[in-house]
Amino acid sequence: MTTAPARPPLVRSSDRVIAGVCAGLANHLGWPVRMVRIGMVVAALAGGAGVAFYAWLWIMVPTADESARRNARRPASPIAPAVSLPETPDVAKRPDAPDAPGAPDPRGTPATEPTGPGRTKFSGMPFGKEILLGAGLLLAAGILIARLLGVDVPLGTLIPVAAILGGAAIAWMQLDETRRAGLVDKTKADQAGGWARLAAGLALVVAGVLVMVSGSGSWEQTWLALLASVAVLGGVALVLLPWGLKFWRDLETERAGRVRATERAEIAAHLHDSVLQTLALIQRRAGNEHDVIRLARAQERELRGWLYRDADRESGQLSDSIKAAAAEVEDALGHAVEVVSVGDCVMSQRHEALVQASREAMLNAARHGGGAVSVYLEVTDAAAEVFVKDRGPGFDPDSVPPDRLGVRESIIGRMNRHGGTAAIISSPDGTEVRLRLPVTAAASAAANNANGEAKP
Amino acid sequence: MTSPASGNPAPGSPTPGKPAPVRVVIVDDHAIFRSGLKADLDPDIVVAGEAGTVEEAIAVIAVQRPDVVLLDVHLPGGRGGGGREVLAGSAPLLGATRFLALSVSDAAEDVVSVIRAGARGYVTKTISGAEISGAVRRVAGGDAVFSPRLAGFVLDAFGTAPADIADDELDKLSARELEVMRLIARGYSYKEVAKELFISIKTVETHVSAVLRKLQLSSRHELTRWAAERRLL
Repeated sequence: MTTAPARPPLVRSSDRVIAGVCAGLANHLGWPVRMVRIGMVVAALAGGAGVAFYAWLWIMVPTADESARRNARRPASPIAPAVSLPETPDVAKRPDAPDAPGAPDPRGTPATEPTGPGRTKFSGMPFGKEILLGAGLLLAAGILIARLLGVDVPLGTLIPVAAILGGAAIAWMQLDETRRAGLVDKTKADQAGGWARLAAGLALVVAGVLVMVSGSGSWEQTWLALLASVAVLGGVALVLLPWGLKFWRDLETERAGRVRATERAEIAAHLHDSVLQTLALIQRRAGNEHDVIRLARAQERELRGWLYRDADRESGQLSDSIKAAAAEVEDALGHAVEVVSVGDCVMSQRHEALVQASREAMLNAARHGGGAVSVYLEVTDAAAEVFVKDRGPGFDPDSVPPDRLGVRESIIGRMNRHGGTAAIISSPDGTEVRLRLPVTAAASAAANNANGEAKP
Repeated sequence: MTSPASGNPAPGSPTPGKPAPVRVVIVDDHAIFRSGLKADLDPDIVVAGEAGTVEEAIAVIAVQRPDVVLLDVHLPGGRGGGGREVLAGSAPLLGATRFLALSVSDAAEDVVSVIRAGARGYVTKTISGAEISGAVRRVAGGDAVFSPRLAGFVLDAFGTAPADIADDELDKLSARELEVMRLIARGYSYKEVAKELFISIKTVETHVSAVLRKLQLSSRHELTRWAAERRLL
């Protein structure tokens, strides 16, 4: 078989007379199906070679479904294909990076490429069948040669053994590799304990048989009975195995289909609830620019959260709370609030105060400042810091009347009570509120608590 | 083009009276966005060409040789690599033509990968007309454009602890570079950063360009691991 570049893979076609082998072969080779079928029949008449070839392909070649499923094993995100898809060009391109203007540096070239661990896992498996078959054929050839040389090979026992082994191998091969792996995994047969248990069980059975034999009747009789029962069991298994397998496969296909359908329904429901509703609202409110911007902003935020959410990340982080507060302000006042966060930590009681103070600062910034509000959260080992900046006309923090609770109480007072600090820097170009909450609560909190109680 | 009087940092707005037009090519697959952006750009920025796919973009850029390419990160066509493929396809021009990446995506891997492919800056599509015009001029002048979000990514990737000595080690940011990045992440403009740190705008630009270089060239373990982590969305 030559390797033409664009040849469809060899799979068993669903357009079948017996097992879809001929159609698949024809598709693969680009020959007419009829010709392949006739050829196969002719070959079958020529001493059964066609039959053997057909059977061999039947066993070895997966069906189109199986093959597709095998190739699709790396799951791609259904929602954001653009995000998960392009990564190989990136890796290929990295050595080009030193060509960037004004930046020749010899150190940059050994780019460590994060090769996905999932890609190399499945190599090695496909050759198992071939090796097994080759070994079998070699063995058969060896036996034939031995017979030719005059060595007496006990064919009477070898042939049944070979038949049993062959049958087992065929049955085993019918499971595709994932299911085989799943089976091995489920029975824990790959672990040392599994093998030990198996061996112990076999030993017990053999011992039982020996006891039975020594206890009653002759060896001959027991042996025959044992053989007969094994034969019956084997036969039953042989008859039922294909049915069981087929049933199992159908079940699995159906389950996969159901999962896909559920996922699709979920996406559709989400889009309907959010995006379609918003679009409808925007159309009705097209005259009101303020409302349109607010709706679009809220929808964007929501969709972004849904698309780029990190499933692994636990919720209840500080950055989540800050972002939620920003969203609240954005919704309430219709001003864009951009949040950038570096580092993160789990929320605590004290962080709640930080979030409240930040929220108050954002509200002020959105209310009095113009344009977008920038919020920056940085969590280090030492402290959590929040900066809220606007580009409004600014004000003099000292001129704020003492009865105005907003700044003095909700921001500065609150931070001080919880062992943090707050500073407000205002200039004609804008105002920035800087909040800092050290991690080591105990000492600073005690010190500041004294301060905080002395103040009011 | 950005050559403000370094002794006078306060009114250092770029291009006070220099009418040398900047030629740009807009690469985006949404025609509505392209026309909107064209209308938003300042009059001294001339749109020399437009493209909607990877192949078109490479062809138009090769013919027009613009000063700046406004490049959408997610583009159809090519082998699915989007903006990065355009950058790779235009690699011989990278010295003369500067790329400014535009995207709706906040995803860190999009941002970082396009910068590492050679873009000189990254801004989100919600940026205003005046801001994008300023960014185009800055990139045309050979400087880097960092949005607050990109600065946040840099701080996240390189860590917030400074390098011990202010050497030009690639895997760490110097204390000064960290300060500049922090201020940009807080929403400061270059001018405000310069004022806050008592340095000239030119120095701020030098620091930002140094950070961009580190981001492009660093083989820092955290950077690649961090990008790989975020890819598991």
